[in-house]
Amino acid sequence: MTTKRLSIQRYLPEQSKTPFWQEFEVPFDDSTSILEALNHIKEDMDGSLSYRWSCRMAICGSCGVMVNGEPKLGCKSFLREYPGTISIEPLAHFPVQKDLIIDMEIFLEHLAAVQPYLINDSQDSNQTHKQTPAQLAKYLTFSDCINCGLCYSACPQFGLNPEFLGPAALTLAHRYNLDSRDQGKAQRMVQLNREEGVWTCTFVGYCSEVCPKSVDPAAAVNQGKVESAKDLLINLFKR
Amino acid sequence: MAKHVGYFPELKRNWWLKNRYFTLYMVREATVLPLVFFIACLLAGLYSLLQGQQSFQGWLQFMQNPITIVINLLALVASLFHAATFFTLFPRVMPLRVGGKAIPAKWIILGQWFGVLLVMVLFAWVFGRGV
Amino acid sequence: MQHQDADIVIVGGGGAGLRAAIAAAEHARKEGIEQRILMLSKVYPMRSHTVAAEGGAAAVTSEEDTLEAHFEDTVAGSDWLAEQGVVDYFIRHAHRELVQLERWGCPWSRKPDGSIQVRRFGGMKTARTWFAADKTGFHILHTLFQTSLKYPEIERLDEYFVLDVATVGGEVAGVIALQVATGELIALRAKSVIIATGGAGRLFQFNTNAGIVTGDGMAMAFRHGVALRDMEFVQYHPTGLPGTGILITEACRGEGGLLLNKDGYRYLQDYGLGPETPLGEPKNKYMELGPRDKLSQAFWQEQKAGRTGKFADSDVVYLDLRHLGKAYLHERLPFICELAQAYINVDPVTEPIPIRPAVHYTMGGIETDAQCETSLKGLYAAGECASVGLHGANRLGSNSLSELLVFGRLAGEQASQRATATAYADIESLQQQVQDQEKQVARLREANGSETWVGLKREMVQAMEDGCGIYRDEQGMQRALDTIRELKSRYQDIKLSDRSRIYNTELLQCIELGFGLDIAEATCLAALGRRESRGAHQRLDEGLQERDDINFLQHSLVFFNVDAPAQLRWQDVDTRFSAPAVRAYGDAGKGA
Repeated sequence: MTTKRLSIQRYLPEQSKTPFWQEFEVPFDDSTSILEALNHIKEDMDGSLSYRWSCRMAICGSCGVMVNGEPKLGCKSFLREYPGTISIEPLAHFPVQKDLIIDMEIFLEHLAAVQPYLINDSQDSNQTHKQTPAQLAKYLTFSDCINCGLCYSACPQFGLNPEFLGPAALTLAHRYNLDSRDQGKAQRMVQLNREEGVWTCTFVGYCSEVCPKSVDPAAAVNQGKVESAKDLLINLFKR
Repeated sequence: MAKHVGYFPELKRNWWLKNRYFTLYMVREATVLPLVFFIACLLAGLYSLLQGQQSFQGWLQFMQNPITIVINLLALVASLFHAATFFTLFPRVMPLRVGGKAIPAKWIILGQWFGVLLVMVLFAWVFGRGV
Repeated sequence: MQHQDADIVIVGGGGAGLRAAIAAAEHARKEGIEQRILMLSKVYPMRSHTVAAEGGAAAVTSEEDTLEAHFEDTVAGSDWLAEQGVVDYFIRHAHRELVQLERWGCPWSRKPDGSIQVRRFGGMKTARTWFAADKTGFHILHTLFQTSLKYPEIERLDEYFVLDVATVGGEVAGVIALQVATGELIALRAKSVIIATGGAGRLFQFNTNAGIVTGDGMAMAFRHGVALRDMEFVQYHPTGLPGTGILITEACRGEGGLLLNKDGYRYLQDYGLGPETPLGEPKNKYMELGPRDKLSQAFWQEQKAGRTGKFADSDVVYLDLRHLGKAYLHERLPFICELAQAYINVDPVTEPIPIRPAVHYTMGGIETDAQCETSLKGLYAAGECASVGLHGANRLGSNSLSELLVFGRLAGEQASQRATATAYADIESLQQQVQDQEKQVARLREANGSETWVGLKREMVQAMEDGCGIYRDEQGMQRALDTIRELKSRYQDIKLSDRSRIYNTELLQCIELGFGLDIAEATCLAALGRRESRGAHQRLDEGLQERDDINFLQHSLVFFNVDAPAQLRWQDVDTRFSAPAVRAYGDAGKGA
């Protein structure tokens, strides 16, 4: 069986305050994913290697890592795609807790900040709303986010300022703003209008490039800018 | 129970050199520099026109300097490059719909280039006639 | 030792846990009382395995459909081992729950007029499955998670691994958990505890389940004397991808997909599911829309007869979707197209997908009454970890997403109700249990024996696959049971290579294995004891190949013993509405 070399950034806070690199030679075939390689290392080579994973089918969003410097889902990237030694690091722009495990708390805070739920005053809960396929299509892509965090690792603005709400949270806000059943846009715009809202984004666009679910967060954030501009203008005249 | 602080890698100054995508982004942002030069040239021309013929002759000479020409050509390329990036992004920021159906991004991009062509033809017609 | 108090503690942040949390919060608000609801999950809630459910959620919706029809389908699907009172409650409340999700923003697929679209599913008389493309579980989970953020009274402890349920005086008193990020233990005192930890598919080698589906909650309840019911019924989903076992949804067949053997023949017509239905005209309860147990069994027979194809090392049959066309496939089954392309490099638009059965769902689980309460006062269970009695010997596809909503809500309301009338247990009496856990974890972390969790796990999943597969026989099951018992004793001699506290994932996997071994033993024991063939439990032994209602129209119950083998007992089935009849599909089941 052919093998490939993986160079993994390790960080064991109980032993040392600085990370170090460790190399492993793992067997692989055409179907071996980065996640399977990590599992192989943990089960057969070094039981102390720590990382998150669960569904191994690109829907739970647990296994994001940097592969050769690019944010990737471990379960949806394959060893066959990379010639030479493959470097694996924890997702960029987040504090690292141990090995490939990052601290996700700030991500969850940003997510919660945009009120990502349907806001609707009507009390008639025995009936579904009507929503045509065209109305659904307006926001459906933006509802496909699996909260893996890859887009935050692809966003230099988040890297420079972690207070920036970031691609996934802003996309989620936009998803609800676009939903024909929702009435909460005015409340969410308060967050979007902030400097750490949509306006920190400079449309680098890499977030959409790395999104494993083709959600296109860059489009959502920049559509958010159009909405925010309108909102600010309207408020100006209201005064 | 608080988690330990962990290790937080700082973003280095040269972060934009580490990734082809970021470098391209910085190039896009940098297109503003030759464009500023071009606009400064225009403003200077306008100013020297007001100052009289001698001044304007000086400006014309400056504009004929090969370095000035190169920088202005660069400004043209930069503006076209910036337009290209902007045009591809536009349909994502302003998705257009006709009768409930989304207009394909390709068409919107082509439409924008067609606009550029139109401006150029108009320009050539207006100034071509005058000579 | 730290401790916190919460009126209600929920273990597990998947669909059932989140639904329970919201229901408890709503219940408390309605009663005008303040309750603290604490949800613990070993992963962030959006990572829970509900996320991977694809096909849809069932509820009587269209004008032509009736509650009776959904009841009959579910009971017949269960091979008459479902609790009929529970099924009756379920079919009456499923629709309300799906509407509720719509009101919370779930992006259900729609008809052109904006009303809810439904699709066909296996074993159902008519189309009644609500769906959100082929990512229904994903959308349900995220809708519930995001909605839960509206309720400040719901507090979460993400990445807390619950080690044990605490009891005082025969009643639940809380839980003891390990904070994964620090390795520290915390005691959480509660008036009600809801277990919503999902199934145990990872007991088997080849499965559709996420790595976290290790049956933790089942084992915790089991160790406290609560029975595990109907554990012998393990669902093999007929369509998993070869190699990984990644799920290819039943909705593929609901939308008209065909199952072919290596000769391109629709073999299901040879297994009592025919006659063949015309291309593009899928018919409920015929052919590809038969129930999962029958379809997986048909695969096994084809494999035996040498009529399966090969994909890498796997025997496979083929799921053909080509006739549906690119546009339709990308609208209705986009995730399936993505998965087939990414994991086996097959484009379903142009090629049939090679597939094979894989363990998918644990029909059995923690025995609860119809109100989701277990025999341990104050302990509730809901979702796949529970056996409320809905699925019997075989679950129908799209009944489980509705189940976790209907019974997640019920469990949440019941737990909240109990918490209004109960006081916290004395903290002193909790201390001993906490110290015991602390010692156990410390011992495990420092364990220096000769066995590794990896070695034991590999033997366990192999033994279960060999002994408790699609078809079973006495010898095979006995061998599996013997192996599991041997592994249990070898587990005492384990060695860990990671002794750290922060994110010690090896320690967690080791504890999960300990849970798994207990459940595996219960599964083997129940399987051996059921000397008949029913639903997903099919025996090859002479004289035991048919259903035996005289002796086995009964639930199996397995009870834990600390220092002795687990014990098997039997329990009557509630058949108050529908007497057992012949379970038939295709033309043979006409009118049923």
